[in-house]
Amino acid sequence: MNTVRAELRKLLTLPSLRRTALLTWAATVLLTYAYASAEASGEKLGDAALAPLGYTQAGFLVLGLLAATSEYQEGDQIRATLLAMPRRLPLQAAKALALAALTLPVATATAATSTLPAGEAARIPAAAAYLTLTTLLAAAVATVVRRAVPATIALLGLYFIAGPLLRAGSPASAPYLPDTAALDPSHGAAATIAWTFSALTLAALTFRRRDA
Amino acid sequence: MVNLVRAELRKLLGLPTAWVGLVLGTLVAPVVVLLNAPYTRRAIAAGTLTDTSDLGLRDLGIGLIGPMVLGVIVVSSEYTSTGRDAPGARQLTATLAAVPHRLRLLAAKTIALVLVVAAQAAVTTAATLTLTQALHGEHVPVPAPARVAAAILYWTLTALLAYAITLITRNGIVPLTLLIINSSVVSVSYLLTKVTDLASYLPDIVGAQMFIRESDFPVEVPPVTAGLVMTAWIAALLAVGAVLFQRRDA
Repeated sequence: MNTVRAELRKLLTLPSLRRTALLTWAATVLLTYAYASAEASGEKLGDAALAPLGYTQAGFLVLGLLAATSEYQEGDQIRATLLAMPRRLPLQAAKALALAALTLPVATATAATSTLPAGEAARIPAAAAYLTLTTLLAAAVATVVRRAVPATIALLGLYFIAGPLLRAGSPASAPYLPDTAALDPSHGAAATIAWTFSALTLAALTFRRRDA
Repeated sequence: MVNLVRAELRKLLGLPTAWVGLVLGTLVAPVVVLLNAPYTRRAIAAGTLTDTSDLGLRDLGIGLIGPMVLGVIVVSSEYTSTGRDAPGARQLTATLAAVPHRLRLLAAKTIALVLVVAAQAAVTTAATLTLTQALHGEHVPVPAPARVAAAILYWTLTALLAYAITLITRNGIVPLTLLIINSSVVSVSYLLTKVTDLASYLPDIVGAQMFIRESDFPVEVPPVTAGLVMTAWIAALLAVGAVLFQRRDA
């Protein structure tokens, strides 16, 4: 429990995470407004409650990868962390818990921002859960990659280029992609959960085996 | 200057992430054309795709992740810490020790980036358009050389946009996130055109009108004006980036 508290404090004191969360929320406000005006002018661009989140999930990907790569940036904080907490698997679990605890309120606020104006408050829990899982997935990938820019390219490329292309090319692949649930929760929820937990397991195993 | 450009080219091409951008950016568009071929053929046969003159050129957009990655990485690589045992050291320190004149360094970097991206754009555009001709030749007119040149220019300017933003932020994550989200199927800039007509003058929207004819943008801009507006954006951002690079501590 102490480890979780320590990890949470480390995350809370990172200015980059605060900035990312704030920018993500502001972008959601802007996009929700854009969708509302598009709809007011008689144009249907998609599900106004969830579509803005389809874009701003990028903010949550960045949140997760910054949280994970902050340990490996200048100064190699990970060495100090491991000195204080040498048992790596419990440490990795504590990191995931702390990140989830930090993300859930941000995700709930962001989800509420886009679903409330559309009058679909019932979708907040599912959307917040999706965004939190996405953050954990990004953190897991970044734990394996360890460097922020390559992790950004990989994650955003998968979520915003490869994913949409695959879904357009073969709709049958949609239920197996981690990001389908962003727009179509009934279809992709299982995939999001499965991808996140496999990524977390993979990250924990590599973290345990690799030199820090 | 030639030596400087050669050095910057070697530095850029020595980055593994730059090769990710090069390979990804070059291959994605032709592969998409190939994979979409059956669908496109059906759409042409069914008559749902009436204007085929944008075919091929429109598909180029998906490969823009290449120039974006290159534009970002050429700057952000200078600012990443060089090694775990010297956490404060960054490549930029060594670069500036070799070339203390900052604007000359920036000019060399810009030239190196433009050379790499223009070459990549030429290869990708040629491959994509040849493939489109080979697959749907009887339905698709050969695009005018000016439009092909405009497409290559658009790629180069997009790389310079990423480069200029990274010079300002000195961090690769912000520009990559902004630009990659914006290159998704329905771009954020396109959504903003629904809020205000002014958004039609955002660089990516206005730039695309250099070579894409059929569009549902609220403001139609003629190709040459479009190119000038996009160039003005890039010039302004580059100027800000250059001033900051000149004045800030490395």
